[in-house]
Amino acid sequence: MADDETDGLRAQLEKYVGKPMGPPAVAPDPVNLPMIRHWVDALDDRNPVYLDEAFAATTRFGGIVAPPAMLQAWTMPRPKIEGIATRGGAPGEIPRDNPIVALDEAGYVGTLATNSELEFVRYLKPGDHLHVTTEVESISNRKTTSLGKGYFLTWVTTYTCDDEVVGRQLFRIFKFDPSTIGAAS
Amino acid sequence: MSGGHSVGDELPLFELAVTSTVIVAGAIASRDFMPAHHDAEFAKAQGAPDMFMNILTTNGYVARFISDWAGPEAMIRKIAIRLGVPAIPGQPLRFSGQVMQTSQEGDECVMEVAIRAANELGDHATGKVVVSLPLG
Repeated sequence: MADDETDGLRAQLEKYVGKPMGPPAVAPDPVNLPMIRHWVDALDDRNPVYLDEAFAATTRFGGIVAPPAMLQAWTMPRPKIEGIATRGGAPGEIPRDNPIVALDEAGYVGTLATNSELEFVRYLKPGDHLHVTTEVESISNRKTTSLGKGYFLTWVTTYTCDDEVVGRQLFRIFKFDPSTIGAAS
Repeated sequence: MSGGHSVGDELPLFELAVTSTVIVAGAIASRDFMPAHHDAEFAKAQGAPDMFMNILTTNGYVARFISDWAGPEAMIRKIAIRLGVPAIPGQPLRFSGQVMQTSQEGDECVMEVAIRAANELGDHATGKVVVSLPLG
């Protein structure tokens, strides 16, 4: 992988760094047993603290808690199924003023997720109602990789309940131009 | 030595038989309706070998792998993974892990576990999990 100098597009993208990726969002529903049960069955995860109230009460959690990796599931936007494929899989309309859209429009249409870092401050309990904000943490200079030329885009999502931070997720994707595959750096 | 676990301990291996059902079940339970996680034709048209597991499900199986080993008192503090090859139907995903570090923080022992989930294509996810257990 080689670093390229800061190019014109990267300079245009600078305005997004440190700014929200979109408006703050609220989970459609509070943490709840039906969704926990659905997850537990889907992943065949038999940890009793997720569904066995009597057992969970004897643990340090003091009662049922949600599987930690469900954090992002609670705040996934409600999908509009019609047309989802033609939107490239996006659950809803994509906000226009967004670095992903800017990169798409500049020809960097390829997307590869490279890193996920989930941090759990505490486990969630039924009734917790998540709010979420997402901020662009960084955008790399243009890089040349085996997939072609592109930019690493990193954002951080902060999850709160009643203003208490309960978790965070750092997520990094590589947005690349598939037509530049094999290009010299 | 911390909570019965020592640096160097290897976690019991876990092999997940990845099927279309496993992928779709995880995608829908995580409310991820992206077609690449349930529609093989859509995924192939995008250049993937088949429909593939979404990242929420991968994180869910990593968490399960850790708590199946550490037990119900385990509290996972962090799952940091680098994402590699896709998890696709017909390719079992093998989870392995090793305790890299242990420390005591108040009334908890905190362990850092290196984890890897791999299939025949290569590493699907590699990274570390930080998990705590109550002492005593």
